[in-house]
Amino acid sequence: MKILVCISQVPDTSTKVVLKDNGSAINSQGTTYIINPYDEWYALVRAIELKESGIANEIHLVTVGKADTEPVIRKALALGGDQAVRIDAESNDPYLTAVYIADFAKGVGYDLILCGKESIDYNNGIVGAMVAELLDMDYIGFAADIQIEKSVAVVNREIEGGEETDTCNLPLVISCQKGVAEARIPNMRGIMAARTRPLNVIAPSPISPVTEILSYELPPAKAGVKLISPENMDELVALLHSEAKVI
Amino acid sequence: MSVIVLVEHNGRAINKKNLEAVQYASVIAQKTGATVTAVILGTVGAREMESLGQYGAQKVLHVDDARLNDLHTRVYACALLAAVQKENSKLIIALNDISGRAVAPRVAVKLKAGLVGGALSYPDLDKGFVIKKSVFSGKAFAYVNITSEIKVILLTPNTFPLNKIEGKAAIEKLNVIFEEKDFGIKVKEVNKVTGEVPLADAGIVVSGGRGMKGPENWGLIEDLAKEFGAATACSRPVADAHWRPHHEHVGQTGGTIRPDLYVAVGISGAIQHLAGVNGSKTIVVINTDPEAPFFKAANYGVVGDAREVLPRLTAAVKKFNQHK
Amino acid sequence: MNDIETLKAIKGGEFLIKETSAEHVFIPEEWDEEQLMIAETCDNFLAQHVKPNLTRIDNQEPGLMPHLMDEAGALGLLGISVPELYGGFGKDFKTSMLVAERLGAGNSFSVAFSAHSGIGTLPILYYGNEAQKQKYIPKLASGEWKGAYCLTEPSSGSDANSGKARARLSDDGKYYLITGQKMWITNAGFADVFTVFAKIDNDDNLSAFIVEKDFEGLTLNSEEHKMGIKGSSTRQVFFNDCKVPVENLLSDRQNGFKIAVNILNIGRMKLGGGTVGACKEVITLAVRYANEREQFGRAISKYGAIRHKLAQQAILTYASEAAVYRASQNMEEATEMLVASGMDESKAKLKGIEQFAIEAAIIKVHCSETLDYVVDEGVQIYGGMGYSAEAPMDRAYRDSRINRIFEGTNEINRMLTVDMMLKRALKGELDLMGPAQKVAGELMSIPDFSLTNEESLFSTEKKYLANFKKAILMVAGGAVQKLMAQLGKEQEVLMNLADMLIELYVSESLQLRVEKLVGLRGEESCKEQLDIMRVYINEAAEKIAKSGREALNYFAEGDEKRMMLMGLKRYTKTDDFNSIQARRNIAAKLITENKYCF
Repeated sequence: MKILVCISQVPDTSTKVVLKDNGSAINSQGTTYIINPYDEWYALVRAIELKESGIANEIHLVTVGKADTEPVIRKALALGGDQAVRIDAESNDPYLTAVYIADFAKGVGYDLILCGKESIDYNNGIVGAMVAELLDMDYIGFAADIQIEKSVAVVNREIEGGEETDTCNLPLVISCQKGVAEARIPNMRGIMAARTRPLNVIAPSPISPVTEILSYELPPAKAGVKLISPENMDELVALLHSEAKVI
Repeated sequence: MSVIVLVEHNGRAINKKNLEAVQYASVIAQKTGATVTAVILGTVGAREMESLGQYGAQKVLHVDDARLNDLHTRVYACALLAAVQKENSKLIIALNDISGRAVAPRVAVKLKAGLVGGALSYPDLDKGFVIKKSVFSGKAFAYVNITSEIKVILLTPNTFPLNKIEGKAAIEKLNVIFEEKDFGIKVKEVNKVTGEVPLADAGIVVSGGRGMKGPENWGLIEDLAKEFGAATACSRPVADAHWRPHHEHVGQTGGTIRPDLYVAVGISGAIQHLAGVNGSKTIVVINTDPEAPFFKAANYGVVGDAREVLPRLTAAVKKFNQHK
Repeated sequence: MNDIETLKAIKGGEFLIKETSAEHVFIPEEWDEEQLMIAETCDNFLAQHVKPNLTRIDNQEPGLMPHLMDEAGALGLLGISVPELYGGFGKDFKTSMLVAERLGAGNSFSVAFSAHSGIGTLPILYYGNEAQKQKYIPKLASGEWKGAYCLTEPSSGSDANSGKARARLSDDGKYYLITGQKMWITNAGFADVFTVFAKIDNDDNLSAFIVEKDFEGLTLNSEEHKMGIKGSSTRQVFFNDCKVPVENLLSDRQNGFKIAVNILNIGRMKLGGGTVGACKEVITLAVRYANEREQFGRAISKYGAIRHKLAQQAILTYASEAAVYRASQNMEEATEMLVASGMDESKAKLKGIEQFAIEAAIIKVHCSETLDYVVDEGVQIYGGMGYSAEAPMDRAYRDSRINRIFEGTNEINRMLTVDMMLKRALKGELDLMGPAQKVAGELMSIPDFSLTNEESLFSTEKKYLANFKKAILMVAGGAVQKLMAQLGKEQEVLMNLADMLIELYVSESLQLRVEKLVGLRGEESCKEQLDIMRVYINEAAEKIAKSGREALNYFAEGDEKRMMLMGLKRYTKTDDFNSIQARRNIAAKLITENKYCF
């Protein structure tokens, strides 16, 4: 069974957002980049587990990004992954990203495509569903547990106010969140093997984006906190009602 | 021209966030001289459907197929597409929730439509079709322009207040032929967390962290939540230590919530936690440590021990509720 | 990697008499992608397994430390430099130093780790025969077996060769029977394999043996109650006619002391790396605390007294680190040259490191004292909370102190520094005489007031460094001449000379590091590093002057003393420099970044 794991590069969680060019772009100077945690800790690790248990025999990684994303891709290879493909494009349009990935995947043929539930930079969480549509596959989002039995996926996913267990035949696209797997630390063997695993670069399909980010804005500075004495909870309640208007 | 809005229900009622979606569509429709057509899939009462008129829907297209009572994303996408084609709609509204994010993208792909998720504003038509959304896990906003002819917006719940108006929507049946392959996902089991307020859409959330010292102290949190009519949540260390169920974990790698009121008890306010809650309208922080970083992100703060503060606060809320 | 033919690397100890070009030093800003991935694995390992459990570790929760070692082993961290042939990853010396540095932030775990992978494994790796290596190394590299090292005894610490442990051949000639008592043995509580030093019969010198924990006659005492590194297992090990198969004699009879000394050189370097890692962690905690703690309405990081401490912590750490990786690179290159010339790899490694034993001793002293400063001011910055066991500084403070004691006390290492220099000079390996005479001649002549030929960004500091060397050569030359063989007994003078050498080596390493960095990134991006260099070197000048003066006032007399004191003044003179402002700049960067960021 061949699994494709979609990896995206995102700024480290503690990065301060700094704008440049009058707010039309993000200043990435000094930013540390990491693998999107949902892609790494859940999607990729689950794929690795499926390979370790003999259910899958090949894991491929795909990233949409320019050459500066390669260190992060190699880190993913160090964790596990037989080969990686980088689609040489920059995209913050989810549709574009999905088309690039789907066009690549179509050429190979995967039984299971895993991605994180969303990327922590743009927080869209829709590329997986779009890829599924483009490949005419089913999609299950927000999975908290994935089991593969023969060629059927048994997925426990989050729903409004609870969880649901679904089954679906492969091939399938699943987006992953907490519960699917436990984050792993790349070991020495993997780190050294990463050098030798193929990282191929391919050109993106020629299509135009359907959305564009025009500008960014930082949230307004928060007015200082109003401290209330623990003796005076009536005052807090009154403020929540009359000032904050939340009760 | 009609704005299509996907409206979900639980068979009995249509909840607040879905009404917000209708109202959102209606505001945009008024700006562009369009009408609003709500799309309802599966079995629900006529009264509920008609009431969408009170939030600006002129018409409801009802796909009255019992198979659609459960979410089947491919099927929903087909149904929504059929509605869009029938109305020749150029704008589709859905919610930025679990089902919206699974269904709408499929329709967007079918229509090669640009999609903006997590919308926090009405589209700015002067600049094109520009929508504000939250990015970098709440650390910034982005203004995104949709350039395609057909457009899809996923609205963030609890962004705009609801205003009921006079109105009654006309119900029209929509028959859609579905293919067997569209029902590929079979539901084996459903576990609803009953009797409690679901976290994702709760207006008020009371959340506990490591400062609570242990799971045995959570009664204090639950009492306050009960009095507020709130959902309960927790920080990551608490979920990792299994003091609370994992679905309560809010933060960078847990859930993201945007309640009107977020009460954080014994949570220091690490950046990863803030990422899950920085969209809250009002934040109250209760902590024994006056240096806790969370105070910098809070609107109101109480420096004190949860074991003393929570019962007092619960009593104060109870008093407030009685006099309401 | 430099081409061996064009290598201009100087030999060990030659930093006193020769110049080094900045392009030939290795600086940490040059780690490659793979090394950074390895470093990240170390950081992640600590974050996931060690840091959340520091209290449990310090409580010596049964089974916890060996379990952590197992986890580290599973990641491959215990076999970084073990050859692939024996189940390791065959990585170079610098990479193993990087691992030592990153894991150095792990308090008691770091000690357990370095004792296992250093003294617990390397004696067998470098001195074992093929059979011994095959038997023990793979299991040590994977962590399946844990290692320990038994040299110290209740009455022999610094004087290692005075150990009373004895070994005698059994009647049937199949076993050595070891009797003795070893003390302060790290990892003893869970080790499977011990390298044990004892004298066979009436030998003058120690021999080394590989002893397995289940060999008959080996018992342990209970855990020592220590000031710090409480989580590290430290026990006495008793040998009562402990039966050790003769095949387990490690290397030649009476070669034990040599083994101990060579392994110590490596241990000193790893200590240097580890303490640098601990420093960075402590500084990050201190900056964060200073940024959050408010008094008099402002974060305390806004106050000058605090800024001074933060800056000084960073300056010393950055300087220590420069020395560590400069020497590591030198050792690696020396090893490569020896391997290229046909020497066996293990031998080449030991010889390459031994070549820079002086630098290793310097690094051990400087880095351990840097960490003690950093943790001391760390406690101070934390104020009352620094004294609380609930905050991290208390543990950091107590854990640091041992570094000035083990791996050779700092006093021993200081004296060795001078001792080794002088011995090499005597053997003709290091030409100190010529340069010292040149300086003596210069003292008599009129000082050269002409401007330096080329004014570069670093010409001032390079001039200072050249002068420091003259100062040391002058004082050392004078001491040797005056005290001759007695110098070995004048420990205070040796300590003074050592301090001068240490300040020179670290200053130069720092200057070279910043010069190379500016070459890579441009002056604009290195403003704080330039300030670090300037503050450090200016302070070093005063330290060198003070140490030199003390020594001269002891052994020199009359006109000669007057002349040398004047010369010392000349050679440690610096231009006026605004250290307060420079430290403020450095502190400002730390405060903005909210972590150690250099």
